[in-house]
Amino acid sequence: MMLPDNPLAPRRLPLPELSRRIKAWVRDALGLEDAIPVSVTELACRDPGCPAIETVIGILRPGLPIETVRLHGGLADIARADLLAALARRP
Amino acid sequence: MHRTPVFLLTGFLGAGKTTLLNRLVRDPAFADTALVINEFGDVAIDHDLVRLGEGRIARTTTGCLCCTAGGDIRATLNDLLHARSVGGASFSRVVVETTGLADPAPIVNQLIPGGAAAGGLRDHVVAARFALAGVVTLVDIVTGELAIEGHFEAAKQIAFADRLVLTKTDLARDPASRRDVEDLRQRLAALNPAAPIGDGGAADFDLAGLFRPRAYAPLALGEDVTGWLALDAAIRAEQGEGTHPGGTSGTPAFTRHGARLRTFSIVRDAAVGPQGFRRFLDLLGLVAGPRLLRAKGLVRLAETPDRPVVVHAVQHAVFPPVRLEGWPDDDRRSRLVFITDGIEPEPARRLFAVALDGGPAPLARALAGFGTGVARAARSAAGRLIGIQAP
Repeated sequence: MMLPDNPLAPRRLPLPELSRRIKAWVRDALGLEDAIPVSVTELACRDPGCPAIETVIGILRPGLPIETVRLHGGLADIARADLLAALARRP
Repeated sequence: MHRTPVFLLTGFLGAGKTTLLNRLVRDPAFADTALVINEFGDVAIDHDLVRLGEGRIARTTTGCLCCTAGGDIRATLNDLLHARSVGGASFSRVVVETTGLADPAPIVNQLIPGGAAAGGLRDHVVAARFALAGVVTLVDIVTGELAIEGHFEAAKQIAFADRLVLTKTDLARDPASRRDVEDLRQRLAALNPAAPIGDGGAADFDLAGLFRPRAYAPLALGEDVTGWLALDAAIRAEQGEGTHPGGTSGTPAFTRHGARLRTFSIVRDAAVGPQGFRRFLDLLGLVAGPRLLRAKGLVRLAETPDRPVVVHAVQHAVFPPVRLEGWPDDDRRSRLVFITDGIEPEPARRLFAVALDGGPAPLARALAGFGTGVARAARSAAGRLIGIQAP
C-alpha cells in the first residue's frame, strides 16, 4: 500500500540509518565504550545565517554532565570529516 | 493523592489522530475524558473536526507544544484543574493530541518525574495532580514509511510510544499491500521493540485498552528514548529554560522544526463556487508530494452552504472530500491550513487562494516554489488547468 518510489527524488539514507551512522562515527572517533550512550537529534539552528536545521549530538557519560556537539545542517548533511572536525574543536 | 492519567496521542501528519479522536468521543467508555488538541499553525482546524458533544471539556492550543519552553502543556493541564475545581468540568482522564510534527521528548519531559524542572507553584501542582500514563503513536500504512525515512520527528514519535497503532489498514486490500504492511510492522518493531503494535482497522481493535492507565516507563523503551530525554534537558539548559530575553511566559525560546517547515492558511467568508472548488482539488492533486506535508480544512460550498466539506491531503495522498451533516460551530467560513516543507508560504497560499476563488492564477511565479522534477510536470499541467502558460 505504500506509495510508489519517485524515481526523480534524490536518494539518501533514511534518517534512522543516518542517525545510527553518526553515532557509530562518534563512538569510533572518541573510543567510547558501549555503556556510554550517544544521542542524536535535529533542531532548528539558533545562529543567524546558518542552515535551518542543526544536528545536536549528546554524549552521556555516567556521572558527568551531558556533552553536546553541534553541527550545522541536518543529519543528511553531515559528513564524517565535518563530524571529526567538530569533535576536534571540543574544549 | 490520586493523579489523573494523561495520555499523549501522537503520530506524524495525516496519521489519523483526528479520526481516532472521533472514535474516542463517540465511545461511552470515554465520557470522562478531557481532550487537549494541539495544532501547528495559527488557524485551528482539528477541534472543528472532532465532534465533541455536550458536556465534554476540551482545550485547543496552537503553535507547537514541543517548541514552547514555557511549559504550555503544564499550563493547559493547570487550566483543566481550575475548570474542574470551579465545577465547570468533570474528567478522570486527559488525552493530549499533539501536532503531527511534535517532538515527544520535551512534552514527555514536562510530564514525568525528574524531567523538566518545575518553573513555579503551578508546575508543582500539575506534577502532583497528573501522571503521564501512556504514549500512543499512530502510523498510517500509506505514508508512514516515507515519514520515518524523511522526518526525524516521525521516528521519535514511534520510539517514544508504549502503544503503536497502524491506521488506514483497510486500504491494504491486495496481497502486495498486505506484504507492505507486514514490512512496516517489522520496521516499527525494529524502531521500538517494546511497544505492542495494534491494527486500528481490525474488528477486535481495543480502543479502550489503548487508553487504560498504566505506568509510562521511558527506561523500558531503551537507550534512544532515555538519551533523547536527557539530551532535551541539556539543550534546554544550554539555551535557557525559560523564554526569549524580554519574552513572556509561553514564548518559544527556540523552535525545533527549522525554517523549512512552514504553515499558511486561507480563510474565506464567501461560499466557494463549484468551479473554484474543482480547480482547488485538481491543483491539490497536482502538487501533492513530499513538500506539501499536509492540507486540511473545511470548505463552504455555494450549492450546499449548510453542509461543509472536509478537505484532506497528506503528502502524495489526496483523500476524497467528505461532506459533514452540519457546521461544527457558529463559524461558517471556509478555512484551510497547509503545512509545507521547504516552500515559501506566500506564493503557495496565493496559488491555492486564486484556484479556490475560481480565477486565473499567477501560476508560473506561484508554482516555482514547489520545485523538484515531479512538480515541473505539475506546473505544466496546472498551467493548462488554470489556463495560463507555465514557463
